[in-house]
Parts: sequence; C-alpha cells; structure tokens
Amino acid sequence: MMSFLSSLISGVSLGSVYAIIALGYTMVYGIAKMLNFAHGDVIMVGAYICFCGISYLGLPPILAIILAIITCTVLGVVIEGLAYKPLRSAPSLAVLITAIGVSYFLQNAALLIWKSDPKFFPSIVSFEPVKLFDGQLTVSAVTIVTVLCCIAVMVCLTVFISTSKTGKAMRAVSEDKVAAQLMGINVNFTISVTFAIGSGLAAVAGVLLCSAYPTLIPTTGSMPGIKAFTAAVFGGIGSIPGAMLGGILLGVIETFAKAYISTQFSDAIVFAVLIIVLLIKPTGLLGKKVSEKV
Amino acid sequence: MLTVENIHVYYGAIHAIKGISFEVNEGEIVALIGANGAGKSTTLKTISGIMHPRSGKISFLGEDITHTDGYKLPAKGLAQVPEGRRIFLQMTVMENLEMGAYVQKKPPQSDFENVFEHFPRLKERRSQIAGTLSGGEQQMLAMGRALMSRPKLLMLDEPSMGLAPILVEEIFKIIQEFHAAGTTILLVEQNAEMALQIADRAYVLESGAIALSGTGKELAESDEIKKAYLGG
Repeated sequence: MMSFLSSLISGVSLGSVYAIIALGYTMVYGIAKMLNFAHGDVIMVGAYICFCGISYLGLPPILAIILAIITCTVLGVVIEGLAYKPLRSAPSLAVLITAIGVSYFLQNAALLIWKSDPKFFPSIVSFEPVKLFDGQLTVSAVTIVTVLCCIAVMVCLTVFISTSKTGKAMRAVSEDKVAAQLMGINVNFTISVTFAIGSGLAAVAGVLLCSAYPTLIPTTGSMPGIKAFTAAVFGGIGSIPGAMLGGILLGVIETFAKAYISTQFSDAIVFAVLIIVLLIKPTGLLGKKVSEKV
Repeated sequence: MLTVENIHVYYGAIHAIKGISFEVNEGEIVALIGANGAGKSTTLKTISGIMHPRSGKISFLGEDITHTDGYKLPAKGLAQVPEGRRIFLQMTVMENLEMGAYVQKKPPQSDFENVFEHFPRLKERRSQIAGTLSGGEQQMLAMGRALMSRPKLLMLDEPSMGLAPILVEEIFKIIQEFHAAGTTILLVEQNAEMALQIADRAYVLESGAIALSGTGKELAESDEIKKAYLGG
C-alpha cells in the first residue's frame, strides 16, 4: 500500500513537470499551428542558466530561477522571430524541419558553452521532507514544490486565458487568424506572447526537472520534451486542460510501469498507451472535435 | 471617404483584380455586385489589409492605407464582416463582441446595449458558445461584432449567403438601420436584387474589372443587369 502511494505521488510529481512542458507545446500548437520541437531544449537552457546563476554567480535560488525564466522567455521570442516567423506561410513540413534544426542548434550551442561533462544541479529546495503515516511514507520537498508549482501555473494560466484581454485575443487567434486580424488583433505579436509564455514555463519545468533528477547535460531536455509532446497529444493537442491531464497521466503511467512492470520497458509502455488512446480517440482525451457549421 | 485607384491583386500567378477604381463617399451605401469569382471578395480583402495589391493605391479618410498592416485598420474606423461570418465559434457571444471592441481600451456598456438593440436575439444568448447559434444568429453576431469597433465605414461580404429569405430581409433591414445611425456601408453581394434596392450607388464586377456602374436605381432598371443578375 505504501509503495503504491509512494509511486502515485512521484508519478504525479513527474507528471506535473511533463504537464508544465506540455502546456508550452499545446499553446504554441493552438496558436501558431506548429510543433515546436525545440521546446524541450529550451528547458535544458533554463536549467543551465539556473545552474550558472547559483554555482557561478552565487545568486540565491529564487533569483537564479527568475534569471532562467527571463532568459528563456527572451530566447523563445528570439527563436520565434528568427526561425519561425519568416516561415509563417510556408508548408508545415518546412516549419517542422526548422524546429528540429533549432533543437539541434540549441543542444550543440549548449555543448560548446557548457561542455559535455555532466553538471550536478544544486539543490534549490532547502526544507525538510514530509513524513506521513508515522514515517512509513516520505515525500521529498522537491516533489511537493513541483506539484504546487504545477497547480499554480495551471490556475494562473486558466485565469489569464479566460479573462484577460490578451488571453482572449490568444483564443481568437487560435481559432481564426484572419478574423482576429479584422478585429484589430496583432497576430504576430500574439504569437510572440505565446512563445514567451511557453518558454518561460519551460524554464520553470527545467528547474523542477533538474531538482528531481540533478544531472544536467546538453541533451537533458530532449527526452522530457518528447514525453511532454506525447502528453500534449495524449490530452488533445491545442487544449490546455488536456495538456495538464495528459502530463499527469503520463507521469503516473510511467512511474507505475517502472514500479510494477519493468524499468526498461517503461517508456515503451507509455508510448503503447498513447497509441491505444489515439486509436480509440484520435483527437486525444480532451481534444476538440473539429466541426463547422456551413 | 474610401478611394480605390487602379489596384491590381494577384493570388500567386493568378491576376484576380485587374485595375479596379472606385470610391465610397461618406454617408453612402455602395454595393459591389457580380457573379461568383468576379473579384468582389478579393477587393474587400485587399481594402481590409488581408491581402495587398501589387500596384495601385487605396486611401481611407485621406490616408494611404495601401500597405498598412490589416490589424491597424479597425482603429482607424474600418470594419469588415467577412464572408462566411468567421465568428469565434468556441467563444461566447459576449466574448465575440468583446473581440469586436478589441481596439477600444474598455468598451462602454452602451456599445453592447446598442448591439443588443439591433439584435435582441443575441442578448438572450449572450453567454452561449457562438458555435451553437443558428446560421442567421451567427450572421447577426458577425455584424454586431463589427459594430462594436464603432466603424466609420462598415464593409459586409455576402451577408445574405446561406440564409433563408425572411432572414435576408431582416439582415438588409438592419444594414439600413446601421446606415441610418451614421455608418457608411460598402456591401458585397451576389443577391443583386436586394443589394440594388438599398444601394445609393453600385459597381458591377466581371472577371476582376468594373463592367458597369451607376446609382442603385439605374442599375436595377438596366437591361444588361436584369438579364445577367435579376433573372430576366
């Protein structure tokens, strides 16, 4: 029973990280209709910046995290402006290839700057683990912080999208760019804002990820990036609640597969579940049905 | 108010608009009529900045807007009800109207009331998701949404398309209400009969060029128009 609970908690925690990353994928997809495969590598950059802030600059963790968020936000906007914006009316395959190119560029740039030897990510959460059931179950502080962060991100983002003027403009752009433009919405600016938010969240995810798994190398972001992309598709790409649900479910399935079936096959099991879900419900769990009145 | 001078518009290699010139004066209802593919919608899209002409000039209220980014035009007083309505189907009726007022800092309540006065049905359905509205209600929402930006010139692209005759009558009545309230109207229609009834002046488009022009009355009585568009 305790091992079940313990797996569940670490699954939700891992899933929370996936969910935060998946939000970036799903928002960008919803608005720019492109898969930003460089998103995973922005996570890695965020983690490195936070690492440098703490280890080289001696910043307190919170300042290092803010530095990472700002850097990634700017990076996201720059990537969008330089690499994707010129391809706005290009076929989606060209954009996809470009995204993969940006991904390799970021990994190799990181390799040049930070070299290939792993960096040990410093602990940023300093309080004690929580003991439950007379010490039978220990929940680490990082786990708790991760889940709380995820909840906070989810709430803030939902409020922002559903009530703020920019949030509503984002929804309008995601539905119909031409109509949005006719309303006076600057579509390019809205897309940049989306990249900024997604990349800022990626920095948060990078810090959380490396707090739980403290080995940092230039490819640190790629596997979680792909998993989070899977989570976004699993939940229904383009849907924000879908990304959250998909992320958490993916984390839980992965952790249970590791605990009860096989560590080696856990990734295979995760992707098998994805395939089954997509066979039954091709739009993902919370994906929007595409229907139009003519 | 709006002057279009000799514009040429291309879709890739296709020369869609071949040197159209016309003008809309303040306070008028001007109609562009013509068959499918004559270039009516392309003309409107070019004015509202969704497309840009390869040559020629468009000016609005004395300002050259030929190459102005489309999203800057609503703030200048130019609004368009696009072909096929293009309301935001996953947003509520109220949110659609708010998007219509996007260029205003905070739209006053009276602007919403004004829209609801023209379209009482929208008031009943204001918290409904727009995708659940009927076709006629969606057209009303598209028009109400355009009104929210307080346009000086309102361009309507095929507002009667796909609607039952009784609704077409209603939509045209509301266009006249907008006009009476001081909005200049540029109307694109395939339903030439209805359009010519309410238009002060009209232009007939044929394969990307203006074939005929005159007052609504003149054109409605012209034999050519009768034969081509009014069924005898």
